[in-house]
Amino acid sequence: MDTQNQAQAQGQGKLREQATGDTSEGAKAATAAAFGLSAAITVVFNVVLAFVKDSYPPLNAFMTQLTGHHWRTHGLADVILFVLLGWFFMARGIPAGGLTNNTAVTLAGAVVIASAALGLWFLVV
Amino acid sequence: MPMKDVILFLHPTFGVLGLVAAVWVFVETLNSTDANQKRIWLASLAVAGLFALTWFFAERYYTVYYHAGDQQIIQNGPVPWAHSFFMETKEHLFFIPLILAFYLPFVTRLRLSVNKPARTMVLVLAAFITLNGLAIEGAGAIINWGAKTTLAQTVQMAPAASQTKEVQ
Repeated sequence: MDTQNQAQAQGQGKLREQATGDTSEGAKAATAAAFGLSAAITVVFNVVLAFVKDSYPPLNAFMTQLTGHHWRTHGLADVILFVLLGWFFMARGIPAGGLTNNTAVTLAGAVVIASAALGLWFLVV
Repeated sequence: MPMKDVILFLHPTFGVLGLVAAVWVFVETLNSTDANQKRIWLASLAVAGLFALTWFFAERYYTVYYHAGDQQIIQNGPVPWAHSFFMETKEHLFFIPLILAFYLPFVTRLRLSVNKPARTMVLVLAAFITLNGLAIEGAGAIINWGAKTTLAQTVQMAPAASQTKEVQ
């Protein structure tokens, strides 16, 4: 395939992608973007809660009091935050750009930083 | 076999099955077409379901049995960091692939064969679920080794049964 044909094929691929943006597919993509942003925030929240809980015993005790074990409360807090934030972003149409490669980059960055920070925290503290 | 041990074995089993399902999603997505769209969707539901089961059994084991003995065994042994580093990191790291697993079906219901950002997102999610899952499984093996090392040391330090009889 020569360069002109390749460019034409790529153009057709783009047009095909744009053509799939019908109402239901668009709504699904907006929901995926909203919950993607929510997942990124929840991943960071999970690690911050672990740090605070570990360094502030009253919070740990409070979380234990809520469900009988701090880890149980921690997991439930993460899942509830993920659902609520996702629902909130979806209702507000956030992010405005919908599901883009940037959403994936944001989530990947959050996961890498959160995982590394978690490991470092328990290695040092 | 006591229920405690059944739960101990069940939680990493579902975890491994979950990360195998994530690899399945990854490979199918690399070759996504309309023909395998439904299979990707079902595999992503399997990932979410298996991670939910892992969470359920891990919660039971960790909150009920681990603190009631295993933790003390490890902390009083020669490798206390099997708990202080590996267990502490593992128990909080687990929530990351759990959230990613719950999020995955939101993206796999999009037409991946024609939606590049959605395809990229699924690949990112499946890759991180797999990598985090592997790290967690590895940490589990080290925690297990931490308990075994303490118990092995205790057995070596205890007088043999024959010696005890001679003394009596």
